[in-house]
Amino acid sequence: MKRGVRAALGALALAGLGCASTPDPWEGMNRGTFWFNERVDRAVLEPVATGWDWILPERVQTSVSNFFDNLFVPIVFVNDFLQAKPVAASQDVGRFVVNTTAGVAGFFDVASRIGIPENDEDFGQTFGRWGCPPGPYLVLPLLGPSSVRDAFGRVGDSASTIYGYFVPWAVTAGLTTVDTVNVRAALLEEIRQDREESLDFYVFVRNAYLENREHRVRDRVVPSDEDDLYYIEDEEEDQP
Amino acid sequence: MKRAPRGIVAAIALACVAGTAPARAGSAGPSAVIRETADAVVAVLNDGALDTAQRRKRIEDIAYERFDFDTISRLVLGRNWKALSPAQQEEFLREFRALLSESYGRRIDRYEQEEVKILGERAEQRGDVTVQTKIVGGQANDLQVDYRLRQKEGVWLVIDVVVEGASLLSNYRSQFAEVWSQGGPETLLKRMRERKIATEPASADAG
Repeated sequence: MKRGVRAALGALALAGLGCASTPDPWEGMNRGTFWFNERVDRAVLEPVATGWDWILPERVQTSVSNFFDNLFVPIVFVNDFLQAKPVAASQDVGRFVVNTTAGVAGFFDVASRIGIPENDEDFGQTFGRWGCPPGPYLVLPLLGPSSVRDAFGRVGDSASTIYGYFVPWAVTAGLTTVDTVNVRAALLEEIRQDREESLDFYVFVRNAYLENREHRVRDRVVPSDEDDLYYIEDEEEDQP
Repeated sequence: MKRAPRGIVAAIALACVAGTAPARAGSAGPSAVIRETADAVVAVLNDGALDTAQRRKRIEDIAYERFDFDTISRLVLGRNWKALSPAQQEEFLREFRALLSESYGRRIDRYEQEEVKILGERAEQRGDVTVQTKIVGGQANDLQVDYRLRQKEGVWLVIDVVVEGASLLSNYRSQFAEVWSQGGPETLLKRMRERKIATEPASADAG
């Protein structure tokens, strides 16, 4: 759940970091890509994930999820390092060693059971921590919601996926597919409900994505004086 | 969309409420309200005598009691609320309340072995209180869920649920603003009415 659906990102040469007045200046294009992704999901990914969920017991799905979480830990480590979090970085090392060995290549999350916390970092969060704003919202083909900052983050994430340099690309592609299907299988009910209950699913996803990402950049610490979401503007401002 | 800083007022309000939330006499405090709600929900989920529809209905009833739908409806429409006629306001309130409580019932019904752990309270501006909770166990393990509560006639009621930083209120607000900008209040109300029809039988791919 913490990891998004990851994959190598090809050509991304979009400029425009930092102009942040509207969160979604590319809405027209984004909606097109979103629509395409939805079609692919309904036609391929959702049915496959439904089958996967039907065949594999939940325990197996959890193990698969653990395996991929463990593969991602080196990237978390790099980013804890880049964000100057030595304690977290040492936890990552401990977690990776324990789960790769005692946890049988990562299939069992022994580290959590012995109290080594799981950290949630990636390059997008690191850029955010360094002060880079998310920039415009961006829906990536097949990969889903992102922002300009997080899209560059993805490039960093896949560049530091170490095993990618040692195994043939077909293996990486296969692993990515399994990961994607497995993540999607865990979200079957969730996404079905979200689709049904939203009046505009595109806006639903955009809002949830952007708020969740900033929350994670802040390491889940909520600023308390946030906004006027909770108060209606004063009477004087109202117009007939 | 734009969230203007409220400047001095906010700073003063913040300074005043910093520290712990005052426990007002006569009613359960915010954390107690969340605790009671979570316990009531768990009791329903563990009641083997109920079928899915009954469970959801019970959970919806709990939502009716604990959420301040009136305030939520106003906030979620922002200044557009006043552009609605009283009859439209009433209809919106009714539809939105149905949507939210249904949604709550359905969502909660998916959680089984989970336990709700209350982490603490935080005082917000103008007397609101946020109760921070975490889900422990199950598929949603470690999920951070914050409830914002506001006191109404001496009772603490929930006005927002924030899951991992994503606010329910903010999310619906942006969706409603979008629909409103496309077709005004009529379209918004029409879409809310139609939603029920669209929601009916979910899929043919029974698992």
